[in-house]
Amino acid sequence: MLETPLRQAATVLLDSAIRIAPPEAREWGHAMRGELSYVQGPWATLMWGLGGASVMAKHSLISLLMPGHQGMMPGDELFAKRIPLRKVALVAGAGCVLASLLFFAAPPFRQALRVALNPWRFMLHEIANRSPQSGFLALAKRAEAQRDPEGMAFCAVRLWDGREAAHLAEEAVRLDPTLLWVYAFVGSRHPALPETGPWVEKLERWDPQNALFPLIRAQVVERAEFRPGGWWRPTEEQKRALQSAMAAAFQSPRFDDYLDRLAQVNRRVVARYRYYDPYEVESRPQFGLHAYAFDSAQRYAISLLQSGAELEARGDRKGARDQYWSVARFGQMVDSQGHTALEHWAGTSLQAMAYKQLQASFQKENNQVEAALFGYLAAKFGPVSGSHAGLPEESAFGSYVARRNAAVVQLSGLMILVFAGLLVAATTILMVGSLQGGSVSPSVDGAGKQRTAQRAKPVATLVVLSSAAGMLFSCVTLYLTYRPYWYIFQTAIQTGSSSQTSDFHLFLMATQTPPGVPDRFIPLLLDSLFYAGSPGFLFYVWTAVTLLGVIGLAVILLRHLHTHGPANRLQHHSRVQ
Amino acid sequence: MKTPRLSRETCLVLQRFLERPTDWRYGYELSRATGLKSGTLYPILMRLEKYGLLEARWVATEDGVPPRHTYRLTPNGLELARTQLAEARPSWAVRQPALSGG
Repeated sequence: MLETPLRQAATVLLDSAIRIAPPEAREWGHAMRGELSYVQGPWATLMWGLGGASVMAKHSLISLLMPGHQGMMPGDELFAKRIPLRKVALVAGAGCVLASLLFFAAPPFRQALRVALNPWRFMLHEIANRSPQSGFLALAKRAEAQRDPEGMAFCAVRLWDGREAAHLAEEAVRLDPTLLWVYAFVGSRHPALPETGPWVEKLERWDPQNALFPLIRAQVVERAEFRPGGWWRPTEEQKRALQSAMAAAFQSPRFDDYLDRLAQVNRRVVARYRYYDPYEVESRPQFGLHAYAFDSAQRYAISLLQSGAELEARGDRKGARDQYWSVARFGQMVDSQGHTALEHWAGTSLQAMAYKQLQASFQKENNQVEAALFGYLAAKFGPVSGSHAGLPEESAFGSYVARRNAAVVQLSGLMILVFAGLLVAATTILMVGSLQGGSVSPSVDGAGKQRTAQRAKPVATLVVLSSAAGMLFSCVTLYLTYRPYWYIFQTAIQTGSSSQTSDFHLFLMATQTPPGVPDRFIPLLLDSLFYAGSPGFLFYVWTAVTLLGVIGLAVILLRHLHTHGPANRLQHHSRVQ
Repeated sequence: MKTPRLSRETCLVLQRFLERPTDWRYGYELSRATGLKSGTLYPILMRLEKYGLLEARWVATEDGVPPRHTYRLTPNGLELARTQLAEARPSWAVRQPALSGG
């Protein structure tokens, strides 16, 4: 059944190879082609065709790399068929390695490699019980040593350690009082800090019309009383505090999350310290308010809408619509003036709720035009058909493209390491083989060593060439895949533009875990291994794996020495002779 | 004079030629006799032919089937093969039984 197609495939393959072969080699191609009709068996025919095609391809490659070189045998090395080809392979391999190394001179490539290896770096930090922000902490120390308020502010808003963040924020504001807004970021990120309350008071005096601070106050109340593993039941006092904070937020005429100011600081600090870590610099999703601030806002909005409905039931249509409009206005303000995906999502959700109530209200009044308008707006911002529905990031290309690119970048980065390892191993074998071949005496044992070295050389040469080519291919793939993100990142730093940064955020999020591993899997695994009663378990697993690998290599080496050792070779030769 | 290096595969090919020195041999026949694949055998034949150790000719076949290339050693090739095989035997003959089965 396979006879005809495989024979045809072999014929086509060989004919194609003959066509690209140099003229002096074509006759031999036709010779192999002539034998094809007599080869028995479909697979043997295909293998014959493949072998013939490889011969023609070798000649094509040699004529391409060494134009004017006739055939494969220079000089008087009559039977040494591997030497010229090996030289060509080694030169080509060296060229690939050099080209790969040149990529390291390009900043986008270095950043791409860092991003590609990020999940493994994170794992190593966890295993070594080091903070993944250790490099960033060093930057914070530098900024503090230089008394640089912007540098300290840059670090304060990003540090995971609340105490250290508070210390840096206070130092930054002390040196430069115009950086007071830094308190909003640190307080929002670490609401449990005792400094947060006084900070919010200062901020409210400094920027009294901003809705951000009442929302932070609400967040502090919710966060302070949050108990994991159960529903939070606020006390009456907390309820009053939340109510007061939300009323103030809904009455505020503006909303400023200060991300614009932070972007300006980012631009200056990144350039000043040449700190181009995209995870730390371009981490907008982790700034801004937490989700529970908007949960409170939503609960408050629902209470306003309910009170509006009650007013409407009592015939107070104007009072009811004022309530609905206060929710819609707050939603519009947060949506249009906010910068994070969460802020946009919260703003549009609130608008949808308010417009739905307004639609119902106008329908009751038989005002179909207004009802249709608010119906349209409710649908536009609503969770079912709205453009923002369930969309945490507004990106141009979507999360699929980000995940795919992240996987390509991560695999390319890994393959660079794998190929580099293979390259080092194969080069070592070649060098050891050359030393052995050049140093042994012309005895039987020496000849045996030379032959062993000679036998290892073609395989090692092949590994060198294929690893170098693979490494170059991986470098090119990594560079080309990451380059658009590099531009987005650079544009964001240099101009403060947030255009397409959502795509970059999605990409960065997708690179947090190795390809194929679900989001948050590695952190959860590490948490469960390190912090859930089995401290150091992963360390022992990796130690065991490494030891087994070393033992395996030692066994292979011992077996090789035993089989190819001097005593065995002498025995072998005496048996042959 | 520099001693040419003799690969194990080349020795296998020369040995097959020496078995019937005057006969013309086909490539596929040599491949089966030596166990060498086309990708290994033909470069050897090409080198031998280039250095005047092997002669090749085309043989017409039935209609519709491409002509075949046949080979035999030249007198120089025979002389060199005998000398080289006698010198090189200890080094290449070791693994020959494993290969000759193919």
